Amino acid sequence: MTQQLLVLGLNMLIIAGLLAAYGLATGYNNLVGVAASLGVLGGVFIAYSRIPRDPAVSSLLNYSKILVEGVTSTIEDLDLLDASLCIVTKGSEVLAVYSKIPCPSRVDPGLGFAGGSPYLAIPLDMPVLELVESSTGELDTIEKALRTIVIEELGMARDVGVSATGNIYRVYVSGLADALKEYVKYPVDPYSIIIASTLARAAMINYLRVIEKTQTLDGVLITLGVGEVAG
Amino acid sequence: MLGKLQDRVLAFIFMFTVLTAVSTLSLSLIREERVDFYASLSILAYYVSYALTRPATGYRHVRVLNIALLALFALIIAYRVYGVLAA
Repeated sequence: MTQQLLVLGLNMLIIAGLLAAYGLATGYNNLVGVAASLGVLGGVFIAYSRIPRDPAVSSLLNYSKILVEGVTSTIEDLDLLDASLCIVTKGSEVLAVYSKIPCPSRVDPGLGFAGGSPYLAIPLDMPVLELVESSTGELDTIEKALRTIVIEELGMARDVGVSATGNIYRVYVSGLADALKEYVKYPVDPYSIIIASTLARAAMINYLRVIEKTQTLDGVLITLGVGEVAG
Repeated sequence: MLGKLQDRVLAFIFMFTVLTAVSTLSLSLIREERVDFYASLSILAYYVSYALTRPATGYRHVRVLNIALLALFALIIAYRVYGVLAA
């Protein structure tokens, strides 16, 4: 949200109101017309002031640093460095679960055991996901949701493409933000987490597993699978 | 990269402001008295700027604004058409 634009828009609306009142009182219709134009301008400014304008990627960088440093040592201790990431959605709660079994179904936030294997479940509290409209899983809706979050909202990449074959989704993200590029090689990385949670939300998938993550010259290809539940 | 959306929004605001200022000033200078003419040209300036810069397409309030402005524009046109037909 841009405070300056909001104040400017409100000021314009007030001036438009005063001009319109004066124009109507004195019979200057062209003054009322100018007020109408100013009103449209002010209204548009107010609407556009609500678009997030802060460089969200710098906040995401801080979040990623804390997450990677904190979680990497924990998953090392749990011998989960080769574990797969699974996004588990339980009502409004979204969990990023690291476990050696494909996608444990009965998990709680924190550390635990499922299917004889330890897991680490991190609750994802991302208000940005509220922007995603749930759908029945049409590919263009999913791609639009990914674009809104990854490109427009967080500025993490320049382009996102998605394709699907049965229960397998392939998301190609290109033009990664320089500040976040280095995290792709870590087991815990913001691209996998944000893309998987956005896709799970957009397609209303309760269990979504990151099957493979391949780094390319200018981006990353993430392969995700639906409904592989165990434990 | 960081300011991609920001740059597009700024370009949109700049273009929309300039187009609206030019159209309003022009109408004012020719002493145009029809209020709806001013409003419809501003809405037209909005859509021209929006189409050229594509500032934000995924935001709900922007979509609501687009629909509201289109409805207002349609109302103005309908009123004018009705005026012509009724005359």
